[in-house]
Amino acid sequence: MASIADFAAAQKPIYHQERPSKTGLLDWLTTVDHKKIGILYGGAGLFWLLVGGLEALLFRIQLAKPDQHIFVGDTFNGLVTMHATTMVFLAVMPMIAGFSNYFVPLMIGARDVAFPRMNAFSWWTFFAGSLTINASLLFCGAFPAAGWTGYAPLTTKDFGGTPIDFWWAGLTLLAVSSMVAGVNFVVTILNLRAPGMTLMRVPVLTWMMLVIQFLLAFSFPPVAVGLILLAFDRTFGTVFYSTGMGGDPHLWQHLFWLFGHPEVYVLILPSMGIVSEILPVFTRRPLFGHHAVIFSGVFIGFVGFGVWGHHMFTAGMGPIADAAFASTTAIVAIPTGVKIFNWLGTLWNSKMTFPTAMLFAVSFIPMFTLGGLSGMMHASPPLDLQQHDTYFVVAHFHYVLVGGALQGLFAGFYFYMPKISGKLLNETLGKIHFWVFLAGFNITFFPMHLLGNHGMPRRIYTYPADAGWNTENLIATSGVFLMTFATLTFVYNLITSLKNGKDAGSDPWDANTLEWMTSSPPPVHNFDFTPVVLSERPLWDHKYTPGFEIPVPEKAEEIHMPSPSWKPMWVSASAGVIIVGLLTFNGIAGIPGWPLCIVGAIGVVLSVYAWVTEPV
Amino acid sequence: MSNAFRSFRHRLTALAALALPLMLAACDEAHPRDAYAHPAGDASEISAWFYNLYLILDTIIFVGVVIAFFAAIIKFRKKPGDNTLPEQNWGDSRLEIAWTIVPTLVVLGITVPTLGGLFELAKRPDQNQKIIEIDVVGKQWWWELDYKKEGINTGNEMHVEVGTQVMLHLTSADVIHAWWVPRLSGKRDATPGRNYPLNFRPKEVGSFDGQCAELCGASHALMGIRIIVHPKDGPDSYESWVKHMQEGAAKAATPEQEAGQKVFMNKGCVACHTINGVAELAPGSRSRTSGPNLTHVGSRDFIAAHTLKNTPENIARWVKNPQEVKPGALMSNLGLSDQEAKDVAAFLSNLK
Amino acid sequence: MSAHAENLTHDDAHGHDGHGALAENNFLGLPNIKLAMWAFLGSECMFFGSLIGTYFFYHGNSLSGPLPKDVFSIGITSISTFLLLMSSVTMALAVDSMKQQKPSTARNFILATALLGATFVGFQVLEFHEFYTEKHLVFAGPNASLFGSTFYTMTGFHGTHVTVGVIWLVIMSILIQKKKLVPGKEAVNVEVMGLYWHFVDIVWIVIFTFVYLLEFLK
Repeated sequence: MASIADFAAAQKPIYHQERPSKTGLLDWLTTVDHKKIGILYGGAGLFWLLVGGLEALLFRIQLAKPDQHIFVGDTFNGLVTMHATTMVFLAVMPMIAGFSNYFVPLMIGARDVAFPRMNAFSWWTFFAGSLTINASLLFCGAFPAAGWTGYAPLTTKDFGGTPIDFWWAGLTLLAVSSMVAGVNFVVTILNLRAPGMTLMRVPVLTWMMLVIQFLLAFSFPPVAVGLILLAFDRTFGTVFYSTGMGGDPHLWQHLFWLFGHPEVYVLILPSMGIVSEILPVFTRRPLFGHHAVIFSGVFIGFVGFGVWGHHMFTAGMGPIADAAFASTTAIVAIPTGVKIFNWLGTLWNSKMTFPTAMLFAVSFIPMFTLGGLSGMMHASPPLDLQQHDTYFVVAHFHYVLVGGALQGLFAGFYFYMPKISGKLLNETLGKIHFWVFLAGFNITFFPMHLLGNHGMPRRIYTYPADAGWNTENLIATSGVFLMTFATLTFVYNLITSLKNGKDAGSDPWDANTLEWMTSSPPPVHNFDFTPVVLSERPLWDHKYTPGFEIPVPEKAEEIHMPSPSWKPMWVSASAGVIIVGLLTFNGIAGIPGWPLCIVGAIGVVLSVYAWVTEPV
Repeated sequence: MSNAFRSFRHRLTALAALALPLMLAACDEAHPRDAYAHPAGDASEISAWFYNLYLILDTIIFVGVVIAFFAAIIKFRKKPGDNTLPEQNWGDSRLEIAWTIVPTLVVLGITVPTLGGLFELAKRPDQNQKIIEIDVVGKQWWWELDYKKEGINTGNEMHVEVGTQVMLHLTSADVIHAWWVPRLSGKRDATPGRNYPLNFRPKEVGSFDGQCAELCGASHALMGIRIIVHPKDGPDSYESWVKHMQEGAAKAATPEQEAGQKVFMNKGCVACHTINGVAELAPGSRSRTSGPNLTHVGSRDFIAAHTLKNTPENIARWVKNPQEVKPGALMSNLGLSDQEAKDVAAFLSNLK
Repeated sequence: MSAHAENLTHDDAHGHDGHGALAENNFLGLPNIKLAMWAFLGSECMFFGSLIGTYFFYHGNSLSGPLPKDVFSIGITSISTFLLLMSSVTMALAVDSMKQQKPSTARNFILATALLGATFVGFQVLEFHEFYTEKHLVFAGPNASLFGSTFYTMTGFHGTHVTVGVIWLVIMSILIQKKKLVPGKEAVNVEVMGLYWHFVDIVWIVIFTFVYLLEFLK
């Protein structure tokens, strides 16, 4: 039996150009290393996860009892809006981007992404966007309060205050970041695979990442257009969303949901991928129906572009459109079912062990199933007319996004952190995290099904005592405290493990895929030699299948790693200047801000010129 | 059996033990807005029927998945000391085909009736029967109700007749709102610049509450609706309500009420509110911010769109400082003194 | 090992594509930058699709004039359309010259493309000016109409794309002049520029056909 210790004996590659491995602040600012950018994304995602959780805690306290006056009116609406905006765009998406950045190149045996500087540009643009959205609290003392869906005309100048400007500005930057990242990773996954890694040998997680990169690249443009029209309305006084001039509020809804539904799959598919990576490792057998799981993910991605209208059943598109969207939406149940059955098939006849990563991965299955099944109800317009915009929907998407996406990401943290830090997370704390979180999450969100059934609409800041919603609301709020405790346990575990954790070694889980053959944390160049891939489970077969050992070349490889660069940050900063110019276009205190747009545009041109002529 | 298994089972039991009493506690309350358990209109009966269909189907699927899931994680745990590998099985194409085709059939099986229900709900009601038609305009944060044929303009509390077809024409004066009274019908957006019908036929006499279901600004939570379904005959019939509403406003009778009327006329209330025969807005001066018609405001159960019970004390509180009751309310704070507010409340309460 | 050698389909596909991007592996045998441009153009299709979709969603909704038929003048726009189409020809010739190791010819064709593109943008500026001052089609403000807002936004974004293309072409000609962009492996950069340019052209053909010409079909 071969051992992965063999790889350590391989010749260190010869650098054509030394990439400094400093870890000072300067290095983090100029880094183009996919692993460092991944850590930046993941760290930012965790930070915003805590912020978004705090926002939820605050408004759940307001809702714990009827007729309370702690956060009322637009303060409450702002908390709700920012909770959703933060969780979707600033917590879950960057955590996904973190895993994608760190592990996609490692899983496909590449040295970095296809365009490392563009990758840094994505990160800095995301960073600028995340600050911009939240800056409204600093400059206006209020959060945007039109809901994360920002339905026009509530967002127009007539009805939405200045915080909305920060909202569109931030989201526009995030859209640019995501589209660029999408293009970059599509190329990376398609073109930078190691020799022998045919598409069917690409790990399922990387496959799901490929699907979502297409979704990012193709679904963000519609919402970008919607946001640009909104920005024009608010800044220049165009009339896109003004019904008095013939405008139609449905335009925003179509553009938003044409992005919004693929976005839902952007949030869930990576977690499905993580679960599909973790189950085989801890069941010690291959993923059951490996190809079916991949194809169903691709299918979900395609169908995702044809179902947006199911968010608009109550909007009055007419029965024909409703029927079409109801049918396409129902189809989504089929590939989703295929995935669930295959995961169950993987568990069957296996020999399971249950470290925390596996606990989160298996609990994903029933929790996601519950969320999926309530989703089937919403696909039925006669039923959705009752459930739309109620707490039943809130329960549904939290089962999918917390029980599904977030649990999958937690599983990912326990599974992959040892590769990133070289240290294992504490299992006792991990198990406390898992059980308390599972309990808290169900106590919070299960009663919301009942609240919806009993007629409670979402996004209301108060409710009368005689509406029959008191008990469930109190239960739901109590669950949030458990989730908060669990998440803080996790963060504590994460931080202390960096110092006190047990050494992980390169392959702590006896895993299947290429990322586990290099050291933990991996060197700057990822692999000492480019691995040749002979099967779906290259590392497993290397260890357990005679004749499938990954060959170690005798000669050292010559490599060239790109140097650190300031240019990505310059371009992001110039784009940020354009945005500030638009925000202050008509002037603050008599000083017009529009010249900043010109300054920013010139900055973009100059820094792009510097970028393309920079030696790498 | 290993310790690990025992503790695992204990944790599950503890979890269930924790959750059950909580769930049971929730059953104690009355649920006056439960559309599935107590539908009171034909439209919500259709929704309730589909809810039960999907609930049964979902329960069967979920229980099946959960049984398979727990069977697997209990039965197929690694035994201590067993270091052999399980069978390296990559899947089974017959199974894959089976669990693709079966869900496809299930999805087909429920989509067909779903589309039937959808078209049933979208059907235009038969025009040869009696139809109560009401124009509904969503406004920040109340509902204007206009009975064109009957010549009645009122707000927030809709009166209809049991067994008679109701047809609402929904639109909005500002942002998107959604009309939702769960026990009578599903919701429908009131969108500015658009006009949608919503049809239902109430089947029970009584009062049914609901509220706006689309985020519409600061006081979205306080944009309630009440539908009062009248019997066909008797002193409380729909027809007698219509007759009453078509009469002019009650005259101020006591000195307090007369003082209140003066305040109403002189302090600015009339800029936005109409009282038939007392203070009518000039045609064309109505805007999206003008308030409800108050001709019969004293006969309503609630004021400020289902926010406060209709008592003189509450009216006084409301007119004195509207924003304290409803954040962002568009009704101006006119700076009334305590006495003025009390007088206005007496005047308005008298407008039965 | 020989039993598995047949599974190894691409192990000889190593290579650098030589324009700054990292390319240890090159699985599809297609330069990274070309693949990236295709993916980007897919994204751009959705972008212009949304803008043109917005135009049609609002077509006929405008409550105040002027209407499309009142402002469009097919004659002048046909000329600028023709110029933009011709620029696609010069762009194709530039790509071809670069492939045939003739950088100075390529540079001349690139400059010609940039000139034609700039002329198109000039025509657009004139058109906007005429629409605004003489035909009172207003983009924003109290006199704006829905048609004005959608028309200027849609064609304005197209014009911005042409302008970006012109700047890119000028930068590229400077790089060729300075011999920082040489034929051979780097010829692909000109090819990728060509993809972008042709795409922007095609978008204009769609706009000209469906927005301008269809208006006069009825």
